[in-house]
Amino acid sequence: MLATFDVVTLSRLQFALTAIFHMLWPVLSTGLAIYLVVLEAIWLRTRNPLYYRQARFWAKLYVLNFGIGVASGLPMEFQFGTNWAPLSEFAGDFFGSVLGFEGAMAFMLEAGFLGIMLFGWQKVPPVIHFLSTVMVAFGANLSVFWILSANSWLQTPSGGTFSEGHFHVQNYFAAINNPFMVRSVIHMALATVETSMLVVAAISAWSLMRQKAPEFFLFSFKLALVILLAVAPLQILAGHESAVQVAEHQPTKLAAIEALWDDQSAGSSPAWTVLASPDEASGSNRWSLSVPGAFSWILETRPQLSQPLRGLNSWPADQRPHMVGLLFYAFRVMVAIGLAAAALMALSLLLWWRGGLSAASFAQWPWFSWAWILSAPAGYLAIESGWVVRCVGRQPWTVYGQLRTADAASVLPVGEVLTSLSVFAVLYTVLLVFALYFGSRIIAKGPNLTLEPPPGLAAPVILSDPSASA
Amino acid sequence: MEFLEWFMPTVWFVILALFLLLYVILDGFDLGVGILSLTSSSESQRTILMTSLGNVWDANETWLVLMGGALFGAFPLAYGTILKALYGPIYLMILGLILRAVAFEFRENATNKRPWNLMFGIGSVLAAGSQGICLGTVLSGIPTDAAGHFTGSVWIWVNPSSLVVALTLIQGYVLIGSTYLILKTSGELQRLHVRTARLAAATTLGGALLITFTAPFASETLRQRLFDPAFLPFFVVLPLLGVALIVQLFRSLAMQQEVWPFVYTVLLFILSFAGLGLMVFPAVIPPSVTIFQASSSVSSMVFMLTFIGVLIPIMLFYNIYNYIAFRGKVSAE
Repeated sequence: MLATFDVVTLSRLQFALTAIFHMLWPVLSTGLAIYLVVLEAIWLRTRNPLYYRQARFWAKLYVLNFGIGVASGLPMEFQFGTNWAPLSEFAGDFFGSVLGFEGAMAFMLEAGFLGIMLFGWQKVPPVIHFLSTVMVAFGANLSVFWILSANSWLQTPSGGTFSEGHFHVQNYFAAINNPFMVRSVIHMALATVETSMLVVAAISAWSLMRQKAPEFFLFSFKLALVILLAVAPLQILAGHESAVQVAEHQPTKLAAIEALWDDQSAGSSPAWTVLASPDEASGSNRWSLSVPGAFSWILETRPQLSQPLRGLNSWPADQRPHMVGLLFYAFRVMVAIGLAAAALMALSLLLWWRGGLSAASFAQWPWFSWAWILSAPAGYLAIESGWVVRCVGRQPWTVYGQLRTADAASVLPVGEVLTSLSVFAVLYTVLLVFALYFGSRIIAKGPNLTLEPPPGLAAPVILSDPSASA
Repeated sequence: MEFLEWFMPTVWFVILALFLLLYVILDGFDLGVGILSLTSSSESQRTILMTSLGNVWDANETWLVLMGGALFGAFPLAYGTILKALYGPIYLMILGLILRAVAFEFRENATNKRPWNLMFGIGSVLAAGSQGICLGTVLSGIPTDAAGHFTGSVWIWVNPSSLVVALTLIQGYVLIGSTYLILKTSGELQRLHVRTARLAAATTLGGALLITFTAPFASETLRQRLFDPAFLPFFVVLPLLGVALIVQLFRSLAMQQEVWPFVYTVLLFILSFAGLGLMVFPAVIPPSVTIFQASSSVSSMVFMLTFIGVLIPIMLFYNIYNYIAFRGKVSAE
C-alpha cells in the first residue's frame, strides 16, 4: 500500500508523524516550567521544605520529558531542508530567519539554563537558581511565540510580495505579526499550560486515590486547579476568537471543519451541525444531527450571519481541503475536551468551596479521581486535534493561497523517504512506550518526602517545622 | 548596496562557521565522552562520565539547531540543496542524536542500565560518524545545476574519502572527549583517559594527514585553491602551527597536565576548521555555488543580524556561566 504512494504523500506523512510525536513533549517543557517557577517562588518566600520537594519532584518528570522533546525537535527543523527544499527556497528569507531566531532566542536560553535548574541547587545562590528556572520557562514560551509566528505566516502570509517563485519580505514586523499570529500564540500558550496542569492534576489524583503522600499531592492538585481555573475560561475564549479568524481568512478551512457544503447568504440563519457523516463524493452529509439556527450564534453571537459563507461545493476541488470527516471530528474532539475539562474544574471548585475537597475525597469517589486522571491524555488529544485542524485544514496549500504542498516538496526517490518514515514510525512507537514506562515509574515511586533543601538555606522557619526533622 | 551585497553574505558565512565550530568543539567532546562510555569498566565510572555531561549536553546540541536555523535563513538555497544531497547521513545523524538523548534520560530512571548504556554509546558513534560523512561529502563537492539545485545520486555520500573523514572525525571527538575527561575527573579514570587521548591523538593525526594528502587528488577545485598564491601563506603557516600544537599536546599528556591537553585540542580543532574554511570559501555548496549566489536578500540578512548578532554575546555569556558554575572535578552523587 505504502509503496504506491508518491513522494509528496510520503513526505507529508513523515512530517505529520514527526510533528504529532514531537508535539507531545514541548507541552510540558512550556507549561510545567511555569508551574516550577511558581513552586520555587513559594519555596523561596516560605522556605518550607514541602515546596522545595514539590519543585524537585516535578522537575524529575520535566527532565525526562525535556530530553525527548529536544531530540524529536531535530527532525522538525531538518525536514525543511531534506524533504521541503522548494519551500525553503520559496520562503527561506522569512521562514528561515524566524527558525534562526527561535534557536538563538528561545531554544538556547532554555538549554543554557536547564543544567543549572536541574543540577545547580548546590552550585549557585538561590536567586540565580530561581532566575535560571524563570529563564527556562521564558525560553520555552518564546519558542511558542516564534514557532506559532512561523506557522501563522504559512496560514496568513503577509509582510511582502510573491514573485518569481519567491517571497520577498518588505516588512519583517508585519510578517512576524501576521493576522493569525497573536491569537495563535495565545491559544497555544494557554493550551500548554492547561494540559500541563491537567497532567499535574491527573498524577496527583492518581496518587491521592491510592492515598500516597496525600499532603504532598493535595497541595499539587490544588495549585494546579487554581491555575486551571484561571486558564480554562480564557482558553475557551481564545479558541472561539481563533475560529472567528479562520472564518475571515481561511473560508475553506471553516467550511471543512463545519462540514458546510452549500453557500449560506448573509442574513440567513443556518443550522449548526453537531455530528454528521460527511460524504465528499456527493458533496453532502449522509446524515447529520443539527441544531436549527444555531450556527450564527456560535460564530458571531447573533441570530443571522452578517457575511455570506461559501460552502465547500462552491470551491474547485483543487482549492479546498479534503479529508472533511477528519477535520470535522478533530475540531469537535478539541472543543468537547476543552468544555468537559472546564466542567470538571467547575465541579472541583464547587467541592472545594463547600469544604468537600480533601485527600480522602479522591479515595472515596474513584469516578472523580478517574475523571481527572483521564483529563491528562484528553488534554494531549485536544492539542493534537487542534494541530490537525490547523494544518490539514490549510491544504492544499503549504503557504496559504501561494504555494501548493505538491510544489513545496522535494523530488526525492520514494525508497529514501519510505525508509526514513518507517524508521521514525518504529523508533517513535518504542520511545513513547518507554517514556510512559519510565514516567509511570517516577510517579509510582513518588516524591522524596525527606529530601532536605541545600545546606545554608535552612532559614529558622525550617527548624521549627516538624516535617523537617522527620 | 554593492558593499552590503558582498559584506552581508561574508558576515553570515563567518557566523555560520562560528556556530559550527562551537558545535564541533562542544558537542564534539560530548559525543566523544559518549563514545568513550562504551569502554567504561564499571557502572560507577560510567555514571561519572554521564554526570560530566548532565548540565551541558543539550545546550551543546543546540548550537547545531542554531547553525541549521542560520543556514536556512541566510542561505536558503544551500539549506535545501545540501540537506537534500545528504538525506541519508542527515537522518542517520538525527537518529544517533535521538538515541543518545533518550538513552541519557532513560538510563537515569532504569534499574537495568545496560541497554541504555549501549544505546547511548552507539548513538554517539552514529551521530559522530554521520557528521563526518556529511563533512567529507560537502568537501569533495556536491554536483548542482546552474540554478544550484542538487543533481547527484542518492548515494553520493557513499565513498572512501567520506569514510576516511568520518573515521577521523570520530577519532577527533574521542580525543577532545578524553581531554575533557582529563580535566573533569581524577585518579584512575583520569589516567585511563590520558591513555585514550594519546591513542586518539595518534589516530586523528593519521587520518588528518591522509585527508590532507589525498584531497588535492580527489578534487580539482581543492587542488587549485591549495596552490593559489593568494592563499599560499595560509597553507604554509597552518600546517606548521598544527605540528607545533601536536607536539605540545603530546608533551602535555606526557607531563600529566590537566588543563593544557584540552586547550591544545581545542586549538587544533580551530586550526583544522580554519584550514577547511579557507579551502571552501567563498563556496557554500562546494565546489561551485558561492555564498553570494545562495544568500537570501540583503534586507533579510541585515534583519537577522540585528537580532542574532546582539544575541551571540549573550548566548556565549550564559553558556560560559554554566561552565563556571559547574567547574571542577565531577563526583558521583
